[in-house]
Amino acid sequence: MKNKLAVLIPALNEEKNIREVIQGVRKVITGEIVVIDDASSDSTARAAREEGAKVLPLLLPLGAWGATRTGIRYANQHQFEIAVTIDADGQHQPESIAALIAPILSNQADVVIGSCTERGSIPRKLSWLFFRKITGLGVRDLTSGFRAYNAAAISQLMTSDTALLDYQDIGILLALSKAGFRILEVPVMMCPRSSGHSRVFSSWWDVFRYLVITLILCLSKAGMPAASEYRSEIG
Amino acid sequence: MFPASQLTSFGIGIGVALAILVLVRKNHLMVTHAVWWLAVAAASMAFGAYPRLIDWIGGVLGIHYPPTLLIVIGMGLILIKMLTMDLKRTEQERKIRALTQRLAILESEMYPRPDQDAAENATSLP
Repeated sequence: MKNKLAVLIPALNEEKNIREVIQGVRKVITGEIVVIDDASSDSTARAAREEGAKVLPLLLPLGAWGATRTGIRYANQHQFEIAVTIDADGQHQPESIAALIAPILSNQADVVIGSCTERGSIPRKLSWLFFRKITGLGVRDLTSGFRAYNAAAISQLMTSDTALLDYQDIGILLALSKAGFRILEVPVMMCPRSSGHSRVFSSWWDVFRYLVITLILCLSKAGMPAASEYRSEIG
Repeated sequence: MFPASQLTSFGIGIGVALAILVLVRKNHLMVTHAVWWLAVAAASMAFGAYPRLIDWIGGVLGIHYPPTLLIVIGMGLILIKMLTMDLKRTEQERKIRALTQRLAILESEMYPRPDQDAAENATSLP
């Protein structure tokens, strides 16, 4: 018997936000809520457990994608039909989950990205444009962690292609694109963080490191076949 | 009797070989990694004991000043060693990540109740 929906929330030191995020998700869906605690030094795991979420406690910090992939592994093992990834910082609005999973339920897409191109600074938008050009990916919001994957995509994400990636962004999309998955981008609203800072862009050094790593990744994957289908509902 | 230059190379070879054997003995170095370094020590000892060897190899390869051959070979071997080390590290990183992910799922199944804290009950890494 397959499970229907898992909402995966990778979290690092988010004890201030995690309760609200779990409560928000629970209001709008009936699936399993899985919090992947990326070796937080605060009480994120305890707070998530007290809210009734399934907690996967990582012994070592694996980073944003490593934590997400732990949830994907859990979804794959327990044969969930759909996995939605949502940030623990409260930026993603749980009300948009329905819009993410609808195209998968109607078999219009295998992967759906909740896209909010209004957010972000000019340098971030320029980096999106640059990486879009050199990868050939049509996706506008390359760094959105608000995504939904169907069972086939979940299974694909457990292959070695994605084992050593650091971020849930271009590398993941390139791997799915190479495998011919249908990627759809739908517009969603995102809120500014209520507390804490971004895991990926917490300092200028992190931004530089991200850009260099992503550039090398894009160059190494150059020439790979594009997605069999990419569509966008963004105007 | 060896001249001083030959003794230096020979001595370095013996020193490296002894250091490697001690490291393996104390479990600080895997045997498979020791093979490479013992080969380096053996080569150093061979070139120390038979200095004409490098002249002969240089002549075969058409290098007019054979001592540069040693430097080129040495640098090449260092590059190869560093690359293979990074390959090995990448493979280990892949395994560590997979293990950590699986362990997290296992712990969540071992301590399913909200009042149990898997992280607190987990055995710490050595």
